[in-house]
Amino acid sequence: MTKYLLRRILHAAISVCIVVLIVMVMIYSMLDRNQIFASDPQFTKVSNNDKTLYKYRNWKDFGYVDYYTYTDWLQELAAKGEIDEDTRKAASAIGRTAEGDKDEVKPYVERFTAEAEANGYTVIRLDAIMQTKSKIAPGGQQKLFATRDRPLYTRLLSYFGHLVTVDSIHSVTEDVGERGISFTLHDPLYGGEKFSPAIIGNGTLHKYLLYCDGKFPYVHQNLVSINLGKSYSINKNIEVTTTMTKAQGSFVNTLVTYPTGLTEMSADDLHSAIYQSGSLEGNVLNEARFTDNYTNVLTNKSGMSRWGYSFTIGIISVFLAYLIGVPMGIWVALKKDKLVDKIGTAYIVFIMAVPSLSYILIFKALGNMAGLPTTFDMESKSKLMFVLPVVSLALPSIGGLMRWLRRYMIDQMNADYVKFARSGGLSEGEIFSRHILKNAAIPIVHGIPGALLGSLVGAFITERVYVVPGIGGLLINAIGAYDNGVIVGVTLFYATITVVSMILGDVLMSLVDPRISFTAKAR
Amino acid sequence: MDQELRSFEQYGLSDEELFSHVDHSALESEKITAPRYSYWRSVFRVFFHKKVNIVILCVLAVVLAFTYIYPALIDYDPFANLMDSTAKHLRPAQAFARFGPSIHFILGTGAAGQPTFDAVWNGARISLSLALICAAINMTIGVLLGAVWGFSKKMDLIMTEVVNTIGNVPYTLLIAVLVLVLSPSFWTMVLALTVTGWLFIAYFFRTQVIIIRDREYNLASRCLGTPITRIATKNILPFMTSLIVTQLAIEIPSYISYEVFLAFIGMGISDMSLGRLIGAAQSAMLTPGWGFEFWSPVIVSAIVTIVLYVAGQNLGDASDPRTHM
Repeated sequence: MTKYLLRRILHAAISVCIVVLIVMVMIYSMLDRNQIFASDPQFTKVSNNDKTLYKYRNWKDFGYVDYYTYTDWLQELAAKGEIDEDTRKAASAIGRTAEGDKDEVKPYVERFTAEAEANGYTVIRLDAIMQTKSKIAPGGQQKLFATRDRPLYTRLLSYFGHLVTVDSIHSVTEDVGERGISFTLHDPLYGGEKFSPAIIGNGTLHKYLLYCDGKFPYVHQNLVSINLGKSYSINKNIEVTTTMTKAQGSFVNTLVTYPTGLTEMSADDLHSAIYQSGSLEGNVLNEARFTDNYTNVLTNKSGMSRWGYSFTIGIISVFLAYLIGVPMGIWVALKKDKLVDKIGTAYIVFIMAVPSLSYILIFKALGNMAGLPTTFDMESKSKLMFVLPVVSLALPSIGGLMRWLRRYMIDQMNADYVKFARSGGLSEGEIFSRHILKNAAIPIVHGIPGALLGSLVGAFITERVYVVPGIGGLLINAIGAYDNGVIVGVTLFYATITVVSMILGDVLMSLVDPRISFTAKAR
Repeated sequence: MDQELRSFEQYGLSDEELFSHVDHSALESEKITAPRYSYWRSVFRVFFHKKVNIVILCVLAVVLAFTYIYPALIDYDPFANLMDSTAKHLRPAQAFARFGPSIHFILGTGAAGQPTFDAVWNGARISLSLALICAAINMTIGVLLGAVWGFSKKMDLIMTEVVNTIGNVPYTLLIAVLVLVLSPSFWTMVLALTVTGWLFIAYFFRTQVIIIRDREYNLASRCLGTPITRIATKNILPFMTSLIVTQLAIEIPSYISYEVFLAFIGMGISDMSLGRLIGAAQSAMLTPGWGFEFWSPVIVSAIVTIVLYVAGQNLGDASDPRTHM
């Protein structure tokens, strides 16, 4: 069993990698890369050569190209000690056109070109764009840089290489004083008297590596973080995981004691402090509150995260669906060809055939008539707004469950072993509960992990129709905004969820049904 | 015995008249006498035996007439009343008062002053055509490939991994990329829905083939030396027919459903299909008095898909030879 599971997990990991590869090929190679600037406000502000450079800089950030400028290269030479500072300054002043290079610049430009081309880069030289005879147009400075398309395998490797990062005391490269990790039983955030264990680091990216607070799941860690990729347009420069898990809504002010001892009403969540270089000195606001450069904090908000909303709605509807769908399916199967069965079948047909958008809109209209809130409002304390999304998600699942359970039950009822049991004198109730139900439930059990984990993925149509600030629309919004980082990240997340729920489903099925064994040789 | 024989003689019939000698024929003796069985005749006999099926077929005929014949007969121009501000968002009664009673306005008018009834059936024509073409392509490839896949173990090994992988690539992403790379035209959408759509149908039929491939009668047939092609066409295909029809009944509505979904998220085709109509009229849903232009495409999409689904399911039931008794 263990061996089989390990093999399954390995297969799953490979197939997830291939999925990411396919998605990368699709979005990096097939789509026009200029589209990523479509909704970038910064892009419209830069012009001429700066615009070209801005494009390449961002393409580098988002994994399209490798790129470095002539100035970067000279600086690197200077850092290595090959040239002194004066030579560097002299060499960096390239002419407005290639012909206009001064004699002290020329050999360096030639060396830069030769080195870059030897590494497979293309050297691009943009001549100055002139507004008048002597005045350079805005953003029209002459540029020299080298670029090459990033090969797919390096993109894939660097993506998976950066997927999981473990915070260490050497994460911050600057001088931060004594590096180290300290363990305390009394978190200084709570005044140093309340019992609350925490691990605090210096030199690490996060100040708090492990801490406790009053929010579920009570113990939190910042040591290991998962980077699914950076967003470009959906949530600029923010990690996909952060986009998914960050609380939304309005600020919640609580009494916060800052490291300097200042106490005030604030929404800052000091546990989330991240090192931000040079943020303390000269910043009056930070100097009054913080004693070190760990000043970049998240804020406490009233709402749940995207993930929180989707998961809450999803999980309630899954439970509701199984609680109603399974008994309904059994009832319908027992009353085969009677009125209940006919009504049940009509409902199943309705769910199966009608476009999901259409029936969700119909549910919304019915809910509206019943006086339920039809749009989601994060500020509202009312729990009623959850009702319609939950019901809209549960009703189709109930239809699906009824359909399969009815089918399996009726198949089992006609099986030979049932006739045998009946001829052996077992009562109908006994046959039903001991044999038919048990056998019919096995395929249903297989779907339970998928249904539970599926609520992590969110539901697009439902969330859109009821304006739920959930996770469901993330992929589609990302596609609409050409946000490659989010597309890849969310795809990886989805694929992992699917693969894991398949494996869990198989395991659960083999636990329920001892006849199913994965150790025996396949057919 | 003697008594009985003698009794015939009483009626004046001789042995020669009563009995004639028949030569023994080896060929004739091999034949088994059974009532003539025609598969498709039995399918239709069972299908029409249920009176409800006749009703469903009639509804289907009406729906098909409205989707294919009605748009061809009328001269529908969605922008005919574009400049006429008094023609927009009218309720049926208002539209009748404005344009005079005609079939075009029984559902009122839409945002551009177009008659909703015409717009809906025109949209249904596009959506249904898309669904039928996609279903035809996917089912043909899927069934043929699924049959081969079920028989070949080598292919099974590779294709199962392919399904596991491709199944995880978000379908929406695939379609979005194709729509962005090409253009949001009708045939792009056909390509997008068929480029991987056949895979899951093939997988379904592969599983079905595997289930019956190893049944006892097929094992016996193979032991007797029946060639694979004959097993496939004579033993397995009849079993598959009802599955193919049932699957078709699920597939066609699912493409309509998917088209509606894609149009809703803004990745649909450029033609005014049912999905585009629903998406475009979304704001009209809760606006008092505009309900007709929103609910008409929703209800029509539901009617079209339900009728197709039920007709297909019942035909699928009838085409199962086990119901022919």
